Amino acid sequence: MIASLRRLSLLACALLAAPLSFATDTPTPRDIWHGAVEMQYAELNAASERLEASATRFCQRPDEALKQRLENDWLSAYQAWQAVRFIQFGPIEQNSRGWQLQFWPDRKNLVGSKVRGWLKAAEAPDAQDIASDSVAIQGFPALEYLLYDDAMNEPALSDPAACDLMQAITTHLADTTSALHRDWQAFGEHYLDTADYTETTLASAIQTLEILEDKRLGEPMGLKGAPPNSYLAEAWRSGQSVRLIVSSLEGLRTGFLPGLTALLRKADALPLAEAFREQLDKTLVQASELPPGLVPSLDDEEAFRGLQSLYLDISQLRHLLGNEIAGELGLVRGFNSSDGD
Amino acid sequence: MALTPLSWALPAREEAAWLFSAVDDPSGGHFIAGVALDGQTRFMIDVPERCHGGCLRPNSRQAMLFARRPGTRMHVIDGDSRQLAHTIAAGKGYHFYGHGVFDLSGRYLYVTANRLEDSAGLVRVYDATNGYAHLRDMPLNGIGPHELRLMPDGDTLVIGLGGIQTHPDYGRVKLNLDTMAPALMLMDRHSGEILARHEPSHHQLSCRHLDVAADGTVIAGYQFEGPEWEAHPLICRLDADGHFSELALPVDVTDSLKHYTASVAFSRVSTTVIVTAPRGNRVLLLDAAQGKLVASLALPDAAGARCDGNGGFLVSSGQGGLYRVTLGSATPELIASLEMLWDNHLT
Repeated sequence: MIASLRRLSLLACALLAAPLSFATDTPTPRDIWHGAVEMQYAELNAASERLEASATRFCQRPDEALKQRLENDWLSAYQAWQAVRFIQFGPIEQNSRGWQLQFWPDRKNLVGSKVRGWLKAAEAPDAQDIASDSVAIQGFPALEYLLYDDAMNEPALSDPAACDLMQAITTHLADTTSALHRDWQAFGEHYLDTADYTETTLASAIQTLEILEDKRLGEPMGLKGAPPNSYLAEAWRSGQSVRLIVSSLEGLRTGFLPGLTALLRKADALPLAEAFREQLDKTLVQASELPPGLVPSLDDEEAFRGLQSLYLDISQLRHLLGNEIAGELGLVRGFNSSDGD
Repeated sequence: MALTPLSWALPAREEAAWLFSAVDDPSGGHFIAGVALDGQTRFMIDVPERCHGGCLRPNSRQAMLFARRPGTRMHVIDGDSRQLAHTIAAGKGYHFYGHGVFDLSGRYLYVTANRLEDSAGLVRVYDATNGYAHLRDMPLNGIGPHELRLMPDGDTLVIGLGGIQTHPDYGRVKLNLDTMAPALMLMDRHSGEILARHEPSHHQLSCRHLDVAADGTVIAGYQFEGPEWEAHPLICRLDADGHFSELALPVDVTDSLKHYTASVAFSRVSTTVIVTAPRGNRVLLLDAAQGKLVASLALPDAAGARCDGNGGFLVSSGQGGLYRVTLGSATPELIASLEMLWDNHLT
């Protein structure tokens, strides 16, 4: 019922939003960004709905083939989220949706304790229960626990308690991404009309690269003044940390680069756009050639060198965008304006 | 080397010869800075977590600075030695929100805090004459108290209740954006009795920062936690007769604040009040008596503000600048430019 309503309203919105894309003759950078991100949110929603359906199928007939399918669908929805994670403003901020999709880093293993708590609950949760609970149970990391954690031998994923929980989480996730996609479309007019969003989009992408460098790679690798800590890596349970980084880089390529190129063309600084694209492609190649996990590479000298190369490539990419391009465009990022209280 | 004497006339000292602020250095280290108005004479105290607001202790040479949400320490700075005199921990199961205020005698310190087990917003009371011993807690029946000040009667606290639930395990994640219940509150500082609770016009208007004029008029600033494509008033007023209202500013002025206000400071000489808006890179000067806009000035990452004792204001920028803003001037005057990132408040 919820799912069918969701699809209906989505369709209605898509029809309403259609004329927007024909509104101007030469697309501005924000036109390009809005359109590209709209497609990324659409893909995130579609992948989340495939995941929801896959969870239902597995729970009806738990076998190895459907388990494999479920893991694939979980990963591709998680990757679709990584691709559009560089948008950190607008509808994603509503009700802490970004945190709902991915509560990370999780220094206290709240994901583990939340999942274990629900597995022991007298009554299985529905999507509404998940919506009212903590961000630690609402997103991809909680599903990852159910799919991959060592503790999931007992109960097995096919047990009713685990299956009900997984279905509730995937339904909530599909609801959230549907609302996100719909709200991004509705946000379009405001985004296109408000010139400041050019800087906001740029700053958001810079911050994404900073998080990539410092938090997603630097901290788990032990490059930030503390020893390596594999629990700080994303997706350590499934061993997909580097694969998710690849998806974030691909998301910048499809969702961010075209608008950036238009912006730099207008500023008569096209060589910077080319430099960014080259460095992004080089980084993508480097990341794609690495094993998908990060944690196993921490104890393997050669594999660790590969991670270090990726770290340096991302660092250069961040410098290019955060210093050279931001400097060229006159973007100054604030202290309180980005994280006040 | 002889040090410039500190100027202390409290609590609303006439002249601000010396400023205190939480700052970060460019590499991300956290400090409490004491800065003389020339911007050059200064001292820096290393602290383990980013700090936020502060207050001066009347009849003393001490200043307090408070760790930023969800920090767990408050620091006593000795103005004579320019050193850290004490650090007081919030205690297991509690964290501070970054603001506090003394009673007029300088004995009792009131600090906004979170009791983690039930997310209860509290005013915690400390005795500065007894090593800052914790005396008692006064619950606010609400979540997320932020800045508080003492009303001119000396007996009433005015408190901005932000309404946002956070928990240190979750970092700075806002946990209850759909069920927030913010308020501007008055509390009897002796009994803890809640005397008034005024609710903003939207449940996602988080009431955070405020100041009180000599006649008891309060101006408070909101931060809107809802959809950024909506427009809502961001400044409210409690007049000297206790009437609560929200200022109806022109829509483009409200829009220019980007849903976010930081510091509020009265001039203490006139009814002029300043509100800083770091996301909008802007400060507003308002006539609090009329509830009218006087001026809207561009100022990059406008953060901390306080009166300068002459009817004007000192404003810090997250980008390092220290500015003077006066009623007549068309642009803020840059007094000093420092290699530090000022947090949202000046003491």
